[in-house]
This record gives sequence, C-alpha cells and structure tokens, in this order.
Amino acid sequence: MSATPRTLKKRNFHQITKGWNVVFNVIAALFSFLCVFPFVFVAIISFTDEKSLAANGYRIIPEKWSFKAYEYIFETGDTLLRSYGVTILVTVVGTVVSLLMIALYAYAVSRKSFAYRRFFSLFAVFTMLFNGGMIPTYIVVTQLLHLKDNIWALILPLAMNAFYIMILRTFYITGVPDAIIESGKIDGAGEFKIFIRLVLPLSLPGLATIGLFSTLGYWNDWFNALLYIDTPSKVPLQSMLMRIESSMQFIQQNSLNSAVSLEALSSMPQDTARMAMVVLATLPIIFAYPFFQRYFVQGLTVGSVKE
Amino acid sequence: MAGSFFRSFNRNKVLLLMVLPGALWFLCFSYLPLVGTVAAFKEYRFSRQGFWYSLIHSKNVGWDNFKFLFNTDAAYTITRNTLLYNIAFIFLGLVFSVALAILLSELVNKKLAKLYQTSMFLPYFLSWVIVGYFAFSFLSMDRGLLNHILGYFGVDSMQWYSDPTYWPYILIFVYLWKSIGYSSVVYLASILGIDKSLYEAAMIDGASKLQQVRNITLPLLKPIIIIMTLLAVGKIFYADFGLFYQVPRDSGTLYSVTNVIDTYVYRGLKTTGEIGMSTAAGLYQSIVGFVLVMISNYVVRKLDKDSALF
Amino acid sequence: MSKIKKRAGLLLAATTAFSLVLSACGSNGNNEPEAAGSGSGSGNAGKPVELIWYTIGTPQKDVDTVMAEVSKYTKEKINATIKMKMIDWGDYSQKMQVLVASGEPMDILFTSAGGFDYVQNVRKGAFLELDELLDKYGQGIKNTIDPGFLSGSKVDGHNYGIPANKELPQLEVWRFNQNLVDKYKLDTSGVRTLESLEPLLKTIKEKEPEVTPFAMDKTYVPYVPYDYLVTNMPMAVKLDGSDMKVVNILETSEMKAALETMHKYYKAGYVAPEAATTGSTSDLTTSGKWLLDRAQTQPLAENLWSASYGYPVTTKPASDAIITNTSVQGSIMAISANSEHPEKAMEFLNLLNTDPVLRNMVDSGTEGTHYEKIDDKHMKNLDASQNYNMPSYSLGNNMLLYLNEGDPDDKWDQFKKFNAEGKPSPILGFNFDSTKVATEMTAVQNVKEQFWASLMTGTVDPATFLPKAIDEFKKAGLDKVIAEAQSQLDAWAAANK
Repeated sequence: MSATPRTLKKRNFHQITKGWNVVFNVIAALFSFLCVFPFVFVAIISFTDEKSLAANGYRIIPEKWSFKAYEYIFETGDTLLRSYGVTILVTVVGTVVSLLMIALYAYAVSRKSFAYRRFFSLFAVFTMLFNGGMIPTYIVVTQLLHLKDNIWALILPLAMNAFYIMILRTFYITGVPDAIIESGKIDGAGEFKIFIRLVLPLSLPGLATIGLFSTLGYWNDWFNALLYIDTPSKVPLQSMLMRIESSMQFIQQNSLNSAVSLEALSSMPQDTARMAMVVLATLPIIFAYPFFQRYFVQGLTVGSVKE
Repeated sequence: MAGSFFRSFNRNKVLLLMVLPGALWFLCFSYLPLVGTVAAFKEYRFSRQGFWYSLIHSKNVGWDNFKFLFNTDAAYTITRNTLLYNIAFIFLGLVFSVALAILLSELVNKKLAKLYQTSMFLPYFLSWVIVGYFAFSFLSMDRGLLNHILGYFGVDSMQWYSDPTYWPYILIFVYLWKSIGYSSVVYLASILGIDKSLYEAAMIDGASKLQQVRNITLPLLKPIIIIMTLLAVGKIFYADFGLFYQVPRDSGTLYSVTNVIDTYVYRGLKTTGEIGMSTAAGLYQSIVGFVLVMISNYVVRKLDKDSALF
Repeated sequence: MSKIKKRAGLLLAATTAFSLVLSACGSNGNNEPEAAGSGSGSGNAGKPVELIWYTIGTPQKDVDTVMAEVSKYTKEKINATIKMKMIDWGDYSQKMQVLVASGEPMDILFTSAGGFDYVQNVRKGAFLELDELLDKYGQGIKNTIDPGFLSGSKVDGHNYGIPANKELPQLEVWRFNQNLVDKYKLDTSGVRTLESLEPLLKTIKEKEPEVTPFAMDKTYVPYVPYDYLVTNMPMAVKLDGSDMKVVNILETSEMKAALETMHKYYKAGYVAPEAATTGSTSDLTTSGKWLLDRAQTQPLAENLWSASYGYPVTTKPASDAIITNTSVQGSIMAISANSEHPEKAMEFLNLLNTDPVLRNMVDSGTEGTHYEKIDDKHMKNLDASQNYNMPSYSLGNNMLLYLNEGDPDDKWDQFKKFNAEGKPSPILGFNFDSTKVATEMTAVQNVKEQFWASLMTGTVDPATFLPKAIDEFKKAGLDKVIAEAQSQLDAWAAANK
C-alpha cells in the first residue's frame, strides 16, 4: 500500500498483497482439488479389478489393480478411434461455423445504429424460451434438410445459440467503445472492415469464451447423434458412452425378463470399463482449454488498438 | 411508408446481411418446429400420413393436457421446489462465479491461475449419472465416506437417502460445484477485457484493492451480470433433470425436496408417454419464462437502456 | 479499396448463409437410395420388395452382411429383401417414438412391455391390425406358436403383433447362492412363502455379517397372488378369479402382511440398507456375497445363472406359473401402421416363425463364419460371432433355434411342457385404456414412485407409511382410475364370456 511510485511502476500495479495472494491461492487450490478429485477417482476406478470393486465398492486405493477395462475398450479397436475422429471433426468444424455465425449476428445486434436491433435480439432470445420439441425438430432436420445419418446433423443443430449471442453482444458493447467505431467510419471503413479490423481484436476474450463454450458443447453432445445417426462409424465419443450407460440402465430396469438381462449383460462392459470411457472421453478435451486461455489476454488498452 | 422502409433497409443492408445466416438458422431450427406446440392441445394419435397430418387430425382436447400440472397436490411442491432452487442457483451461482473470477484474475502467478481454471472445468465433463455415483460413494449408508467420518467423531450413521433435511443443501452444493467453473469463465473474460489504465489511475489515486473491485470491476461487470441473470430468469421454470433425478437416486422419501416440474412430468408420463401432455408441460414452462423475461427486461430497460436484452 | 473489402465481407456473410442450404442439398449424395423399396407396389411380383425392420439391441458390425445373406434366401422364398436397423437397448423406446411419430418408413418393428410399450402404442395407432393378414398369410404362425401368445396379446379383441414363441407363463422363484447353502447346510426344501425364508436369513446374518442375506434392488415387489392391470401400478385383480374386482393392491391383506414381513427383515438387517434406491445387485452376484433373491425363471435358467456367475445357483418356486399380459407381451414383432408392404411383411413374419433356416440365420449369422454345426441339433459360436451377437428373444420363434453346446436335447420340449403347465390369469388379454384418466394416472404414477420402493423393500414401517400412501393415492385420484378400470374390465368380461 505504501509503495512508492517507482516500485509501483516496476511491479504490476494490478497486483494484490502477498498475504492475500496466499489466501486466494489456498481457496482456489482447495476448490480445484474438489473438482479434480472425482475425476482422479474415476481414473482410479477404471484401473480397479472388477471383482474387488464388486466386493469393496469404490476405494481410493483399490485392493487389486487391473488394466482389463482398457483392454476391453481397445479390443473394440477402430470403433473407438473412429469415434474420436468423428468427435474431433464435429467439434472443430462446428466451433468454426458457429463462432462465425454467432460473431456476425451478435455484432449486428450490438450496433446502436442497427434499426432492427431490438427485433433481432428478441428473435434470438425467443428461441431460448420456446422450442417445438423433439419430434418437429427431427422432422425438420431429416425431411426438410435431409440430414439423416449425416455428419452435418451433428453440427448444424448446435450452430446457433441465443445465450452465446447475448453474451458476445455484451462483450462487444462493453469492450468496444462507440468512439472506435465512429473513428473507423470517419476513416471511411465499411461495416465489415470495422468489424474485422477494429471490433474483433478488441473482443478476443469474448470470442475465446464463446469459442470455448461452443467447443465444449460439441464435444459433450450426445443427443443429436442419438436422434440422427444410424451408422455406428458416425457415432461420436460421448454418444457411444451415453449409449452404453443408458443401455445398462435399461437392462437393469427390465431385469424382469431374466434370460434377456443375462444375455444382454454378458455383452456389456462393467463399471470399470464405463469409467475408463469417461477418462478417454475427457482427457483430450482438457488440453483444448489452454488453447482458448491464450486469448484471455489481460487488459488490452484502447489506445494500443487505435494506433 | 414503403419508401421509408426501403430507405431504412438500405441503410441497414450490411448489418442485415450479417444477421442473415443466423436468422435463417433460427427460422429453420427454432421457429419451424414451433408449429409442433399445437400438440399441447391435442390427443395425439399416429397415422399413415406422417406427423403434420396426424397432428392436425388428432382430437382437440382444449386445455386437458395441462390439467395434470395443476390438478394435484404435488403441483404446489413441484412449483415451489423448481422456483426456489432456481432462485438459489441464480443468486448463489452469480455470487460465487463472480467472486471466483475476481479471485482468479488477482492471482499473482498466472501459470497457477491457469491450472486452477482448467481443473475447475472438469466437473462440467462428468455426466449426472457419474456425479450420482460419486454422491453415493460419499453418502451411502454403510460404505459412504461421510458416515465413516461421522463415525470417527462418534456420530451415528445417517440414512442420507431417506432423510430430506439436508438435501436442499446437498443439491445446491452439487450444482455450484458442477457449474461455477464453467460460468465464471464469462466473468473472468470480462474482467480481463477491462481497460487496465482504469486501475492504473485508481492506484495512483490511492484506491485499495477492495475499492478498485467495488468501483471499477463490479460496475464494469454490471452489463454482463444483468444479461446472464435475465437469461437465467427465462429458464426459471426448467430444472436440471439429472441433478434432481440421478443425484438423489430417485429416492421416493426425498421427493418433498427433490421433486421438480421436470421430474414430475417424467415420472408421470413414463408409462403413458402422451406427446400432448409432455408438449403441454414444456409450453407451460416456456410461457412462464417468457412472461418473466418480458417483465424483468422491461424493468431493466427503464433503469438502464443499454443493459436490456432487447 | 474499401469497396473491395466490403464486397469480400458481403461474400463472407453470403457464403455462411448458403453453406446452410448447400449442406442440406449436398447431403443427398451421401444418402443411401431409400427409394428402392417404396417404388414398387405390393402387387408387383416381379421386383423384390425391401422390408425395413427395426429391432432392439446393440448394433452389430455384421448386420448388413448377414442381412444380405438373409435377403438372398427370402428373395427366393417370398420375393422380399430385408434391411435391418438395430437401435441400442437404452435408446430404443425414445428413438422409436420419434421415428414412428415422424412417419419414418418402416415395415416391421420390435415392441414389448419394456421397450416401446406394446399396448400404449397400439392405442396410439402405431401398429397395423393384423387379424385379416394373419388369416391370409399367417397360417404357419397360428399352427406353430403357442395359442396362448396370440390370444393373450390381443388388444381390444384384435391382434397387433406376433409374440415370440418362448416361455409363456411367469414363474417366480427364490434363487439361492448354493455355496452358502452348502457351507451352512441350510435346508431349502420347505421354502415357498416369504415367511419361510426367515430361518435361512437369520443363520447367514449371524454367521456371515459381510453377506447381504436377501439381495434386492428397488424394483423388488413381494409376491402376492394378484395380477396387476399395469405393471407396477397399484391396481390389481385377484389371481384365483373368484371375483373380477379391481383393488388397490396396498389395501389387500396379503400385501399388508407381506410388507410387515419385509419391514421385519429390513430391521433385522437381512436387506441392504439402501435397497430402495439400489439400481442393480450385480456387485453382489459378482462377488457372491448374497444368500438369496427372487427372480423369474424359465426352463434351464439355473444352468444359465450358474454359468454366468461362476458358482452354482439353485431355485425353489415362489409362486404358481401364471400366464399374464406381461409375460405374453415380453417380445412382440409388429407391422408398422405406415408400412408400404403389409402383406409382404406378414409373409416374412410367417416365414421367420416357421422356417428354421431363416430363423437361425437371423439369430446366429452365417454358417461357417459366425457359427458351425456340431450335430443336427447343436451348434457352436465361432470367433466372428462377436460381430453378430443378437438377442434371441426379440427375433421371433425361439423354439426353432439350434441348441448351444451343452444344452440338453430336449430343451425345447422342456419349454413346451413349462408352457403347458401355465395357468392363465383371469385378466389375460384385458388391457386397460388409461386415456380417459390420463391426468389422474400421472398423479398416481408420481405417488407410486414416491412410496413404492421404500414400502416394498421394507425400508419404511408399513404401520405408518401404508395408510399415508393409501391416502396419497386417493388424493391423486386412484379411486377414479380404479372405477374406470372396473367398468372397462366388466365390459371386457361380458364380451369374453
């Protein structure tokens, strides 16, 4: 607090005291642990021997370790790899397409000079509140757009999202002062030039946020595949996981017909294999986060862009 | 009049073009299927001629499909639970994620901060089924970690899954645990977008860190906070099905505090699967959300025109 | 310069807009020619008809290749080819509802009490009425499969599907972990009722504290001699047929007594403390830490169970063998209401249920690739069978199937004997139509979910919770539902006298 102007300049002025830093670090570390722990636990269970899991339940240090679950999964071989491929393709293409569409839409409705600003904002928000339900949507996708069993059926239904639009619009409004746009206009730049040259660089954190959300949305989506995809080789990872999960539940709930459940259960992976699939489905995407973090750049000052 | 429309159209041509792809998408994926909500007023029956034909020719039943949401003792419980939990989620979610975002932005070691952020994202990836397993491994009567710990302190084992007392807290905790890592990203990104010369100036004026947060960070976060809250208000009649179904393991004795609109509808229609009734339930949730959003947006607009949704 | 940029920008937006449209059109190229089947009328004998068949089970790699073989055979026999589409267990009900509602082309589909509910979907108009088709093209079916199936699966007096010929009655048994029975020399000979289990449970509880004496999950319901109108809903009719009266099962003296016994067992620790929320007991069966549970049986089930768990499992009957709606509707193949070729579909179903060559091909795949014959009755799965591992119960007449290695020669005779011994429930063939009381049904269903598992597993004391549950059911409108059911039942009974 009593820092002299000189040290103030040398030190990052946006910094807290050492004591608070320790406190904050402890809080953040504790919460992080709380978040990571279950995941580590999942990993441990996936390496537990099925028999000792049945006997002892979940344990942090299992009685007996085993790689059976992973062996089981890798036995299915190319299925898993292909699912990774589908997921990655859908995620990358989907994020690009949706970011492009959302960024454009959000920019237009952020501009005060846009006469239909309110209309198109409401037009978007309304879709968040009302939906026609599963069957009409299914009919539009399969019978109007003819996307049944097509990879685009995994991409397009998630391409727009009113929630993201409203967030990004706020980033534009708060992060890009009107003066900048006006100055662009005076320089004779068109709306697109202003958007690409002036607005986008200033809203990188916002774009990164929406890009991240969109990536996670695509990565985690399983429902569209359930509805639209028939060919096993086009099923993404999460959907594969979900199918196994729900099929397990179905068989357990319908165990009335005992012969059926026996027959079906014998071909089902056990608890440990399902946990292994969670691990395999989550690990790669964790590395996507740092990629977006790069764009959470601290304090781009207005002046620096104005050149 | 037509002339003025064309003039305004011309002036907004480029911006309209920017909106076009998205607007087409909304038309196709959101507005077209909306025709299906007619089913809420129908006793839907299949026919050879496909969905639309069946829909039009199914029997009209007026408001009958909505009755099951109100004509029952449970109506009060599920409405109350849905509303109260969502209010708690909106409020606590906001406080905690903004606090977390500020905290993360203040950490000196940026590498550590990034590591924390990444870890806080992990719960988002666990499905509710898996989260349900974990909750069980903590709360199970005979094998649960929590009862072991309580036993260590000489407290009797608790039947967690048959005692509703603690479930509101458990559910709120689980919700926050799973979601704030995700939702704090928006606030974090906003904070990082703040012009740092503002802090510089405040620092020179001798403002303390707390004052800086109160006088710079929070006011500048206000627009995004308002937007996020308004958007959440629209979903106030929807409940996260997995949270209220999987985590309490569908335990009947807990229904007084875990039954929400979505679980009620699911359980009620499990055997009959009436399309009309499930559509009616969705429409009811939507309309309440819509009315609330319109009202709160109107209020926000009166107070601060720029922060309103539309 | 700025003009060029502007144009480029315009182009960018326009491209995005059109990519939506383009991707929609471009997709046509990827689609398989679906028109193949729909073009030809059913009267056209020259061109084979493609039948689309939806069935339950994890999609198998070799389905298409096996169906190509099947199609060769069926083309010769009935001039039809088969396209099979498998939908995974857990997705089946939901996805079929969407597919059927949206008018997706299909001819044959699997339905059952548990997946894509048979009766409900008959009422919604999903399936074609088969009475005439059965007479015309289904004589083989009528002659082969147990008549109990066809009469029992009628809804409002008409047939809407062909049940798979397999075990017909429902027989409840107590299953024992024989290892523990032997270890403590337990006497299971006198076991039949719930009460008769007590000494066994007690011994194990005392001597093996680690073991769960009475294994059960949340779907467990004590056996009482009533038949439920709708599975797991409290409306039921007494099995002895003495009166055709619909009652609330919770108000019967039998259920009351059973619940008291269950609560006694629960308090004594014979039942796992969290039974009311337990989804599965597979951890107990894997580890062998259980003494007994209740299950439904069929001939040779003991062998199946023992082989699957890796230790001997024995059984004792817990009920009579009763033919109920549920047991009859365990697996049905129906013809879709929007089928383009209902006659061909019926011809195919007839062939599937009578022709061993076709039935075994559908079930086990190609001989020499997926399985090989050991003798004229038995077969052995080959390694490739993991690419074509089908659930037999959902694919038609089971009694045409080759026997597995180790199955006794008279396996299907045992099934026939088992079926012949079953007694029909007094309400076999009566299916309650809940449309008129749909509102009350949702409320009743919710009350049921709230109280059912904790009462049935004995977790809560029936002395306080039973009256409470009965009261809640009344408030939810159960009386109205029962009255409606009673009037439907009376009308049905009068018509079937």
